[in-house]
Amino acid sequence: MRVLATIKRVPITGGRIVLTEDSRAIDTRHLGFTMSPHEECGVEEAVRIIEANKGDSVVLTLGPPEAVEQLRDAMALGIDRAIHLQTDGSEWDGEATAAAITDAIRADEAAAGPFDIIFFGNESADSGGFQVGIRVAYALGRPCVTGLKKVTLEGAGVRCEQEVEGGRDVYEVPLPAVLTVKEGLNLPRYPSVPGKMRARSKPVAVSTLPRPAPRLELMRLAVPAGQGRRAESLGSGAPAAPAVVDLLQKAGVL
Amino acid sequence: MSVLVLMEEGDASRQMLTLARKFGNPVHSVGINAIEPFAPDFLAALLSAVATEVNASAVFAAGIERGNDVMARLAARLGLPLASNCVAATPGDPAIVTRQRWGGSLLEEARLHSPRPLITVAPHTVPIEKGPDPVEFDIDAVKSKLDQTLLAVKVSEHVVPSHAGVSLAEAKVIVSGGRGVGSKEGFAIIEELAGLLGAAVGCSRAVTSAGWRPHTDQVGQTGTKVAPDVYIACGISGATQHMAGLKGAKRILAINSDPQAPMMQNADYTVVGDLKEIVPAISAEIRRARAGRI
Amino acid sequence: MSALIAIDAVALAVALIIAGFLFSRRAVLLFRLVRAGKPAARFGDVPARAKAEAVVVVGQSKLLQRLLPGLMHAAIFWGFLVLFPTILIAMIGAVHPHATLPWLGAQGWYALLVDVFALLVLLGVITAFVIRKVQRPKRFVGSHIGEADLILAMIAGIVVTLLLWHSSQIALGLNDYPASWAPISSSIATLLSGPAVPYLERLAVWAHVLIILSFLVYLPYSKHLHIVVAAVNVYFGRTRARGRLEPIDFEQPEADVRFGSARVTDMTWKQTLDTMSCTECGRCQDVCPAYATGKALSPKLLIMAIRDQAMAEGPKALADSTYTPPPIVPNAVTDDIVWDCVTCGACVRECPVGIEHIDHIIDLRRNLVMVESRFPEEAGTMLRDVDKSSNPWGKPQADRTHWADGLGVRILQPGDAAPEVLFWVGCAPAFDERARQGAVSTAKLMLAAGVDFAILGPREACTGDPARRMGDEYTFQRLAGENVGTLNEAGIKKIVTTCPHCFNSIGNEYPDFGGHYEVVHHTEFLAELVRDGKLNPLAGDQKITYHDSCYLARHNDVRSQPRELVAAVGQAIEMPRNRERTFCCGAGGARMWMEEKQGRPINQERVREAAETGAETLAVACPFCTVMLDDGVRETGAKLKVIDLATLLAEAVEKRRAQST
Repeated sequence: MRVLATIKRVPITGGRIVLTEDSRAIDTRHLGFTMSPHEECGVEEAVRIIEANKGDSVVLTLGPPEAVEQLRDAMALGIDRAIHLQTDGSEWDGEATAAAITDAIRADEAAAGPFDIIFFGNESADSGGFQVGIRVAYALGRPCVTGLKKVTLEGAGVRCEQEVEGGRDVYEVPLPAVLTVKEGLNLPRYPSVPGKMRARSKPVAVSTLPRPAPRLELMRLAVPAGQGRRAESLGSGAPAAPAVVDLLQKAGVL
Repeated sequence: MSVLVLMEEGDASRQMLTLARKFGNPVHSVGINAIEPFAPDFLAALLSAVATEVNASAVFAAGIERGNDVMARLAARLGLPLASNCVAATPGDPAIVTRQRWGGSLLEEARLHSPRPLITVAPHTVPIEKGPDPVEFDIDAVKSKLDQTLLAVKVSEHVVPSHAGVSLAEAKVIVSGGRGVGSKEGFAIIEELAGLLGAAVGCSRAVTSAGWRPHTDQVGQTGTKVAPDVYIACGISGATQHMAGLKGAKRILAINSDPQAPMMQNADYTVVGDLKEIVPAISAEIRRARAGRI
Repeated sequence: MSALIAIDAVALAVALIIAGFLFSRRAVLLFRLVRAGKPAARFGDVPARAKAEAVVVVGQSKLLQRLLPGLMHAAIFWGFLVLFPTILIAMIGAVHPHATLPWLGAQGWYALLVDVFALLVLLGVITAFVIRKVQRPKRFVGSHIGEADLILAMIAGIVVTLLLWHSSQIALGLNDYPASWAPISSSIATLLSGPAVPYLERLAVWAHVLIILSFLVYLPYSKHLHIVVAAVNVYFGRTRARGRLEPIDFEQPEADVRFGSARVTDMTWKQTLDTMSCTECGRCQDVCPAYATGKALSPKLLIMAIRDQAMAEGPKALADSTYTPPPIVPNAVTDDIVWDCVTCGACVRECPVGIEHIDHIIDLRRNLVMVESRFPEEAGTMLRDVDKSSNPWGKPQADRTHWADGLGVRILQPGDAAPEVLFWVGCAPAFDERARQGAVSTAKLMLAAGVDFAILGPREACTGDPARRMGDEYTFQRLAGENVGTLNEAGIKKIVTTCPHCFNSIGNEYPDFGGHYEVVHHTEFLAELVRDGKLNPLAGDQKITYHDSCYLARHNDVRSQPRELVAAVGQAIEMPRNRERTFCCGAGGARMWMEEKQGRPINQERVREAAETGAETLAVACPFCTVMLDDGVRETGAKLKVIDLATLLAEAVEKRRAQST
């Protein structure tokens, strides 16, 4: 069994987003970084599948040199090796990202055989394009199901549950398949220190890619003005309760 | 120049029309339910064929789950760029779009270099405006000419969850707890207030990571995006990923001991103090008010 | 006559050989168990170790903190030392009634000492029985009372038979020493007359010898083993800072890294020695804040449980090197017990035999966290945040300067010249608005006094103390390395901090990672400024009770300077549990980020104690104590205001300024 999980390095923004001088990027000078939340679940699922079925797992990212931190985090959870498509840190749009990832997958599969499942996050926390997984699936000619909260291997295929209003839609597709998953798919394990230590020496295949001209071309970023919420104080402590009840009555919910 | 839209039930599609109309007239539409059961690859191929038939200058959909899914497949199929979750769009060469990043906590202004712009519109960001209604395209002729193997990826079953209670996405009132609640057991007072209001119980990502509540209760960018009439946030700091889930909330009441917390600054109403005192006090006050009315 | 002597000699020889064999066989096993323990660096610093021996063991200093039990034990212990030669004398006398030790056996002063100390030992034993059976202190709950009773009875037996033997010797005129020098034995001798006395003499000496020999055999199977092991255990106690934990070397190959203790075979030899030293006295249990508030943890029961598992499993592992004992958690010790600990160190401080309970707990935590990923879920969020966001609140580092907005505090930029003093703010004041007042007041006072200081702002990462106390040594070391790098690059020599945990970590633990700085707690620094006249408070009459933080008063001996500040601003009233006997606020051991699920809250317990002093102000010197005790005041409705000493000082300085204008 071969499983691939793709991840993206994103900053931990906290409560406020601060931009760089030229408004073309987030000021990440004092920010920590992590894997995008949906993808953490994809990595965990990949590890679980290989634990249950024997085989090999790979994690892949398209990102700056520092993104190796996230690759090591994924390998600390149990992924066997990593592919790092190294960029200079500039913005890649969804199309370009998918194309580069598709090439890398083709190369790896030519060498080591097809991936039964390729996991993507449903959308990345930052750019949120909702398209990379689907584009890769189409390029590889494989079925794709998105927004998954549950994945169960069944024989030569996989049963997928997608969360929709009022319940879950079930899809059944044969392997090999491309699945985009959402947080809530599983609860990612806490990496053990032996796992982190072993991850330091697991193999990372690095290739540097020049950025193609983007067709969705970022011009500038802006922090949106508040939605005009006035933060009117109703008081402090328990004595504010009557004011709250008043508000609820006026809102018609009591 | 005509424009093609993918229509779904609800306000999000009607909001999308406001932007779609800027790109052409008449507005042709294909319904999300054109294919039963839902088969996104087939629907994407259908959209592609119809777009060619009507020579659509652009294709639009609402930026909700199915819309984003089908449009991404359309983009992959056509080998064209896709601008998802836009809050503004202006036709041109190139078209200019403003789209959401970080679930809406950041906006990106971008040029869309495409002969046929593909755009999804973020819900709760564009007002519904009066304008020409979309005309549903007669898809029967087109359907039969498509590659029927594209129906392979389809919904085979619909599962309804066994647990009772108000669904977060549909709830009119939500009482939500964050790290400040302190523990799994601490949520008892949140549940009590929710019970009195007939509300759903929500929580922040910190709470689900700590294992106090299931992920289905999580509100935020990677959880459920909610649109209640009232959202009561108790002990939630207000990280951008949580705020991203609250764009549709009409009124937000924040209860927190830290007046500087982002949640307190981005709310409509605030109460400063210890939620462990305030929330039970509100419950007690509600009971008093109800008893008084009888 | 000589035939009798020969029989006696043979009988004694046989008894000695049997007792010797049984004793040695067990003693060798215990020695091998200790030697099989993992390494511990406890061989340096001999002068400090010798001093500990003299003061704690010979001087019985820890025991004498509780006067009556201390005197009782000192009587028995010193009695044991004095009476030791009488064992030889008795054995000689058992063989030959007229023989004794040359010289010593004839000394009157020694006979006097023997009489006096035999009586003292007997009084000690009686006192012990009164304490155990009449007074019944709670610290014995969970201890093996039967075993203790037997040991006390045997000790009584030893001195009673000794006195009887001496008395009957004197009655028979067999004594080599002048009888007038042995007043007690002589008095008893006057009661002994008649044909039975020679038999009494033989009976007494043989009973004496046989009780001693059976005691010898019983020794290594019982908690009385402490008479051998305790002195050794005290010698090998930590001589470096009490608040410093021993680092793990992660640079070794993974198979050689010791990730704390999963099984008894993972323990260090010092930890094994610890478990053998325990006398089940319960002093540690008595002072443990977790036990006092109804949690599962009792330090005494913890050590006893580990001891029992070590004694059961250790020999199996020695016999078969492939044997893997079951894990300590949850078989001997439940998870709850491991996480209940606040690492306040009260247990370690009380223990008369030098057991270091915190090291056991931390090693269990290290394995649970780093290898098993098994810990309270809410703490996992904190660990992730410390690792990825460099602070336990998971808030952006850039927010670290918000507490100082508008104060005019200098933020040190990379490349700036080093200030005289670096004010290390800590995560709590930066990110928890309730923990801030101490830092704000300290900054204002330092500015008023013209101190050349700066803060690191966003470049200050968490010291890693919460991660280390939870057992995540890996994350702690990464952060320590990062902070040492930042501090060294900036050329920092002196650091002032308001947080005792930062104070402890940077001062006592960072030297292991290349960070050598003079680290001062804000109370020490402010007290010095007051002494030097740079700050002039106006003392008031408000009644202030000061809560000593564990990491200040107990782990680091900072007790008098905060009191200088209290005296400078108001009237001090001490709580019963003060200074090095302080009672924890409940936040230590990373428990700030864990919920108390059992028993009563520790913080409320301490607030009650504070309220009972009648003071209006509860002074604190730690951001965590501030939050915990403030919570406690609100939860109990106590009429107390929790205020940091720096804030009290600032108010008093302001009063003086207002008065002079």
